[in-house]
Amino acid sequence: MSATTEAPPAAVAAPAPPRHTGRLAGLMNAVAPRARLVAIVGGILAIVGSQLPWATFVLNEGAYPELATLPLGFTGFRLHLVVLGLATIVVAVLRVPAVHRIVRALGIGATAVAVINGLYITAEGGGLGAITASDGAVAFGAVVALIGGVLIILAGAAGGVEPRPELDWALPLWIEWILLVVIFVLMLLVVAAGLTSGGQGGVVNPYSGAVFLSFLGAAGGAFAALNASGLLGYVATLSERHRVFSVIVLLVVALGLPLTSAGTEYWMTVASNIGVYAATAIGLNIVVGLAGLLDLGYVAFLGIGAFVAANLSGAAASTIGIHLPFLLVMVISAVVAGIFGAIVGSPTLRVRGDYLAIVTLAFGEIFVRSAQNNIGGLTGGANAIPNIPAVAVGGFKFNDSITIGALRLPSGVMYYVLIVLLVAGVMLVFGNLKNSRLGRAWIAIREDEDAAAAMGIRTGPIKILAFLLGAMLAGLAGAFFAHKTGVVAYDSFRFLESVTLLAAVILGGMGTIPGAVLGASILFVLPEKLREFSDYRLLIFGLALVLIMRFRPQGIVADKHRKAELAEIPEDAAKEGPGPLPTSVAP
Amino acid sequence: MLSTFLSQIANGLVLGSLIALIALGYTMVYGIITLINFAHGEIFMVGAYGGLASMTYLLPTVITQRWYFALPIVLVVGALVSILVAVAMERFAYRPLRNAPRLAPLITALGVSVALQEAVRVFYPGATAAIPFPDLFIQGTLIIPIGDGVPIRYTGILLIVLSLVLAFGLERFVERTRMGRAMRATSQDRDVARLMGINPDRVIVLTFAIGGALAGIAGVLYGSYLNNINIDMGFQNGIFAFTAAVLGGIGNIRGAVIGGLVIGLVKALGGQYLPGGTAYDYVWIFVVLIIVLVFRPQGFFGETERVRA
Repeated sequence: MSATTEAPPAAVAAPAPPRHTGRLAGLMNAVAPRARLVAIVGGILAIVGSQLPWATFVLNEGAYPELATLPLGFTGFRLHLVVLGLATIVVAVLRVPAVHRIVRALGIGATAVAVINGLYITAEGGGLGAITASDGAVAFGAVVALIGGVLIILAGAAGGVEPRPELDWALPLWIEWILLVVIFVLMLLVVAAGLTSGGQGGVVNPYSGAVFLSFLGAAGGAFAALNASGLLGYVATLSERHRVFSVIVLLVVALGLPLTSAGTEYWMTVASNIGVYAATAIGLNIVVGLAGLLDLGYVAFLGIGAFVAANLSGAAASTIGIHLPFLLVMVISAVVAGIFGAIVGSPTLRVRGDYLAIVTLAFGEIFVRSAQNNIGGLTGGANAIPNIPAVAVGGFKFNDSITIGALRLPSGVMYYVLIVLLVAGVMLVFGNLKNSRLGRAWIAIREDEDAAAAMGIRTGPIKILAFLLGAMLAGLAGAFFAHKTGVVAYDSFRFLESVTLLAAVILGGMGTIPGAVLGASILFVLPEKLREFSDYRLLIFGLALVLIMRFRPQGIVADKHRKAELAEIPEDAAKEGPGPLPTSVAP
Repeated sequence: MLSTFLSQIANGLVLGSLIALIALGYTMVYGIITLINFAHGEIFMVGAYGGLASMTYLLPTVITQRWYFALPIVLVVGALVSILVAVAMERFAYRPLRNAPRLAPLITALGVSVALQEAVRVFYPGATAAIPFPDLFIQGTLIIPIGDGVPIRYTGILLIVLSLVLAFGLERFVERTRMGRAMRATSQDRDVARLMGINPDRVIVLTFAIGGALAGIAGVLYGSYLNNINIDMGFQNGIFAFTAAVLGGIGNIRGAVIGGLVIGLVKALGGQYLPGGTAYDYVWIFVVLIIVLVFRPQGFFGETERVRA
């Protein structure tokens, strides 16, 4: 077992604290020499804060969850805070490599938990009185935890954020395999916990949004800390090294979701819907992420697939009235969607850039309008196509529940299995395409179309192929969608859905598989969880889109090539405004 | 027959001059910073709501009952609201991305569009459904005595006249004034313009402001003509206006007006005579858009084909 880690910077005798300039420089410089001490104090405050009562009374809409009115308790967000605080103390005491970077991430997590819970308690519980003291009991939990969190962030930032260490331990094969299995299982548990945290939301459970957001904050902080320590990077290298093995394990683990706490019909449905949009987002990722062709009407292909499937499913409302086996229907949906994809993509031969985006938008709008007007009697118009029968193999219907011995799996579990396999298949297609000759051609076109053409790439057919393949994947997802939801209406395929899909791809990171899945999950889980904000959902969504483009255009999971492309163009980055004249003029 | 045809022409011209007003903003912004300002349609929508708000909440009935007082005030308020939103949008959403790759501002524009639409829906009282909008001009309909008579509302006539006047004024402004020259210079080469002592930021803000003003006026006139407004009006008419701008040759003021009139006529006549009727009139506009973009992306008046990366 050899450790080829760089020498931890902390091992160097008393590294000079960094000098800060800019805003808060005075404060930062004051903290810098005793950053670790401040971090430890912050960690202790976070733990102390978690054990104080957070709310002074039973709030307007019932008790705040996790016994937040009582002193002492180790459940829910209080547990998260304790873990984050302890981790901070341990990391700061042990001086692990990149200590300040880790500490900063942990601090952000703790702050997020404190802010979210505190805000919810004050906002939903009737003003600041809910969070401050009343009748003698001290309810400063949120305040103390918040101070702790901010101190930790401050310590991390002031101590000088180190570069992320690159771990590269070479372990025996079997240990690496076991590690991967354990990590993936842990990931599954975290995902299941995240999905179910806070419950279903709605009137019965007014604080589900708070619990979920708080969980998200804590988990985000923990993940960022793992990332900062280099461990996440190590796992990525590890899974890259054993690619096939990790793909198989990941698939098996994903199929294990029904066995966790998320194994109820409701969550299976949520997970299946996420799967549909994840598969579609991966298809869109071919067009946008790989080939760099912005498609603003992409959801139309999902719609075409869904309507084709609905018409071939033997639903009473379909005018065709044919009933074909599901697998065949999927193939036909994909092919039809692919044909439309090629048609929509054909203007790429002449139109580029944002003009192309508008052309795709126009196609998308034509689709919606036509579907709304029940074109050819195929879409049901405003009545939609209801009562699409469930997928049935033999006598077994996919929406029945399954009982294996003592184990009773909820209904909808078969759909979940199906969509997991579908998404896995789509990922496989995407991954192989990306690393193929075709994928490289797409990336070349994305980077510089003229240069690609000069290198002998036949750009026209290859661009159309991107549209065709992307549309086929969406068509597959559409066929599944039709059977799962049982009703297909034009309403599900509006422009906004296209924008949401695009946002999923961008948020996750263009051109990457985990990015598309992550983005789709976030954008379709959040509205499910935050029902009480449903009025503001799109407003927040729009603002988020603006902010992402402003601050992290490469998305959460950045693609290596893409990152370089999205960097600012240096020659135009001359100082804006009435400053001194630029010394060089851009060509 | 003839009067049906002519009244559809009249409808088309009214809608067309409205679209032309919006298209001017598209075309100017695109001319200066080659950005498809998707959110421009929402600027138009915001202007209509701003005007309506002044009508409902601010102005006393003494004024609202007399159109010659109310109309100018509401138009100005609508324009001001739109200018404010447009300038803020430029400052906070687009300016930080001026050197970013092309996709980024376009996606930002989508985000701004969604956010503005939702902001109005959430915060304007009653905006979850269509809101009635008063007719701000002389009530009634003029019957042009051709055939069985061609009806056109006075508000429609106002719309056509005002649009043409504003477009003409804008063209004079861009062609004849110092600031107009600065705009043309900035659109040709921002860096050289800066060397010539022009402040491109100011020019860009001015462009957004002018586009916003025209859109705001268009919004108020739209409400006044159709007598109700909803939050979707921006997106739809924005796309039409974009089509018009491209049709006329993007960056070209006269082209935007003619493109707008053509789009208006396509919608009115297509809804009357093409298969599918009014249910498909939107579809025809999008078909026109696709055909234009594919076969003549430089539009009617565009001079050279832009090489677009």
